Amino acid sequence: MATRAGEMATTPRRRSARHNLLPYLLSLPALLVCIGILIPFFTAVWYSLQRYNLALPFTRAFIWFDNYKEFLSDARFWNTVQVSLLYTFLTVGIELLLGLGIAMLLRRATLLNNIMSVALMLPLMIAPAIASLMWKLMTNPNFGILSYLVSLVGLENFKWASDPSTALLTVVLVDVWVYTPFMMVLLLAGLRALPPQPFEAAELDGVPASFVFFRITLPMLTPYIITASLFRMLDSIQQFDIIYAMTQGGPGDTLLVFQVAAYLEFFQYTNVGRSAALLMVLWAITFVLSNLFIKQWLRLRERARGAA
Amino acid sequence: MSYLTLDGVKKSFRKEEVLSGVSLGVERGETVVVFGTSGAGKTVLLRLIAGMYEPDEGDIRIGSESVVGVGPEARDVGMAFQNFALYPHMPAFENIASPLRARRRPEDEIRRRVHRIAGLLRIDHVLHHLPRALSNGQKQRTALARSLVSGPSVLLLDDPLRNVDAKLRYEMRLELPRVLRDFEATVIYVTQDYKEAMALGDRIAVLIDGRFAQVAPPAAIYREPASMAIARLFGDPTINLYPCRPSANGEGVGVELFGSRFALPPACEEAAGRDCLIGLRPEHLQIGMERSEGAVPVELDAVTPLNVRAVLLLKTQAGEEVLASCSEADALRFPRGHRAVWARPAMETALLFDRESGERIGPRRH
Amino acid sequence: MQRTTTIGRIVRWILLLLVGLFFLFPIFWVLLMSFQTNAQILRIPPSLFFEPTLENYAALISGRLETAAGTLEISFMRNLWNSVILSSSSVLLALVLGVPAAYAFARFRFRLGEDIAFTLLSFRFAPPLLVLLPLALYFQTIGLNDTYIGLIWVYQLIVLPLILWIVRGYFEDISPDIEHAYRVDGHSWIRTFTRIAIPLARPGIAAAALLAFIFAWNNFIFALILASADKQPVTVGALAFVTASGIQYGQIAAAVVLSVTPTLLLALYAQRYLVEGLSLGAVKG
Repeated sequence: MATRAGEMATTPRRRSARHNLLPYLLSLPALLVCIGILIPFFTAVWYSLQRYNLALPFTRAFIWFDNYKEFLSDARFWNTVQVSLLYTFLTVGIELLLGLGIAMLLRRATLLNNIMSVALMLPLMIAPAIASLMWKLMTNPNFGILSYLVSLVGLENFKWASDPSTALLTVVLVDVWVYTPFMMVLLLAGLRALPPQPFEAAELDGVPASFVFFRITLPMLTPYIITASLFRMLDSIQQFDIIYAMTQGGPGDTLLVFQVAAYLEFFQYTNVGRSAALLMVLWAITFVLSNLFIKQWLRLRERARGAA
Repeated sequence: MSYLTLDGVKKSFRKEEVLSGVSLGVERGETVVVFGTSGAGKTVLLRLIAGMYEPDEGDIRIGSESVVGVGPEARDVGMAFQNFALYPHMPAFENIASPLRARRRPEDEIRRRVHRIAGLLRIDHVLHHLPRALSNGQKQRTALARSLVSGPSVLLLDDPLRNVDAKLRYEMRLELPRVLRDFEATVIYVTQDYKEAMALGDRIAVLIDGRFAQVAPPAAIYREPASMAIARLFGDPTINLYPCRPSANGEGVGVELFGSRFALPPACEEAAGRDCLIGLRPEHLQIGMERSEGAVPVELDAVTPLNVRAVLLLKTQAGEEVLASCSEADALRFPRGHRAVWARPAMETALLFDRESGERIGPRRH
Repeated sequence: MQRTTTIGRIVRWILLLLVGLFFLFPIFWVLLMSFQTNAQILRIPPSLFFEPTLENYAALISGRLETAAGTLEISFMRNLWNSVILSSSSVLLALVLGVPAAYAFARFRFRLGEDIAFTLLSFRFAPPLLVLLPLALYFQTIGLNDTYIGLIWVYQLIVLPLILWIVRGYFEDISPDIEHAYRVDGHSWIRTFTRIAIPLARPGIAAAALLAFIFAWNNFIFALILASADKQPVTVGALAFVTASGIQYGQIAAAVVLSVTPTLLLALYAQRYLVEGLSLGAVKG
């Protein structure tokens, strides 16, 4: 009736190949990409320790940390640091507050809220460089709708990105437009993942809404807030697309954030050594930040996987 | 020569030794139940035989060949997992057919065999459903069918009845041995339920502290447990244990218990003079309303019905707790609220364990 | 939260309206502009009502623009095509490289794997110019400058970490016992990978691929440095458009619309997976 046991072995029983090699084989291509990243990286480190100008090849020399030492007394460097920090602080701060507010508004999973949250994600899906272009069109002094609207409230000839005093504001505005949805999406997911019990209990006890927000919601949201903020800080301090697309770093040096400055240093002044050194400083900052971020992110990930 | 041999198998995970030298020989067509508490290493043992892990030391042989280093797909074993492990994206038919497809059997043979075993396990009406549409019982039988369908050399069943409701568990306990015998399978069956072990096993291998503490047929495990730990694991309610010190006098060996002296069978003479624990199973205590030969006065504290038996909680004059069991009918004889009864232990069934090592030292058999 | 006073609801509605207006108006407005002629655009005050025209799109698609000053060649369609090629190829390559690696990282715990995964992740956050500038110099010597292959290789920097980390999570979610059972049935590990692991992780792979495509499409700086005019994707192309002389504003708007439509559509299609993708698996949508 049934098969006699053992009649139908699959393959002759032989020792299988050492499958200890398998994981290494599978990840070999990824390893190659890794190496492909690390080689240029170490090259950049190498360059940062040299005086290296493409236009003056005969002056190329190894000067150890002189590039970095020069930064300390260079007003342009400190301008870059200042603008970058200011940009980061403004963008992340505004996006956090705005994103949190919107997330709170959309907290309940109603149809309208869900539609809204998807619709609000759209700016995030647009290339930041193109977003800059869109805002450039809208702030054109001749036909831009925003210039027109602003003139209606009395601000004639508002120069937006062409004016040193308002350039930073303009690019911050574009950044806020593009990236607030990112904050909102993350914080909304976090809000919806919060356990309902503390809130139900607070409601039963008649606790006022502000108390609930500051003492219950915010503390529970903190891991998401920290993760999202670090993520955005990492992006903002090295922002290139938005600023370059808008003004290429101008007017003057008002928007010379790190990567824009490094880019111009390389392509306009052909100063490879200085450019590399500037990028190394930026890298050091992002390295510290990303380590902090990765720790937070892993913690959040464990929580998500654990609950799944 | 045994069909499946484990020889001094050791396995550690992260510095913790789960199996510290396990040896067993399973005959062809035999069902050996590996019994132990949770975390004892039973599942690890099954996975070692299946080929999901490799032993740190020792050998595993199927037939006469060692399978250490051979991948699971080449070992010709069938395994039914505790949580079923069905392929969620395939209907039940494909789940069961999987081992046959791996062996490249022709389509009509696959169809025939899958339907036959599905009929045997009464799931042929749900073969086209995806696993998520099946009840737990149907999932379990699908997993079982999958493990059986190719007639593997060795069948590994990892507590298959654990996640299944009580009624089905009872039914399967009757059905399984029949199905397994039909397939003439050599089976390793893992469970934490001693009743299941005793019902299904030709032999039971009790796994304690990473080793087999005893490998014997069910009756022997129950009547002649090798240690106190094993005696405790088998039997519901648990065996009664009391410290004692058997002594020899002119009339033979005896023991002081519950304020009286009881005679022990001569086979217990090795226990004389040693610190022991005496074990008396609840069903071996006769409880009666009147005094009888060899009975001691006890107080009846509580009566608990348990299936068709009743469990009696008694207290001796010295305050020791005693559990006894008797049939429901017998229990009904005691008038409500009645306290004073008499307990007569059947000393011929008493077990003596060394107080320190837990090993059984009496009575000696054959 | 059940306390919804009427005032509360009105305030909420107003706030949501303002928010929606802020984030969606620019898209809407630029879309409008793309259907306007220069004359209509320059009209003050700007109005919502006008006679739409398709001449901007026609100019872009046909590649020729008739102006008073003569005929202008526009190569925007080429930019669009470049975007398509670069994004799809790099995502495809990343899938081929990344999915098996993600499986290896999910199923086997090995030191090298953790190192690779972390390096790729950490460079996702490093300034791209740091890698791009030396790479630009290297590419010139190797001859990979301004080639599709060079760009696709470099794009891996963006798409590979994404694929790796998202797909890895999905593989980890599959109960290992299911794969064990398939092996015990008699199938080799390759069949287990293709018949069990990949089908069960398919939603994750699709999500990662869609998101990676969006990010690759939206990339600007990589192409800016390593591509010249005929290999540039729309992000760089659109900007070059603006600086070229004689271009009509309506066409700039139309170029913007054409540039963003693919990613917007994909985002709407893949919206379920966006949260998880954006947070690299840290937050479940």
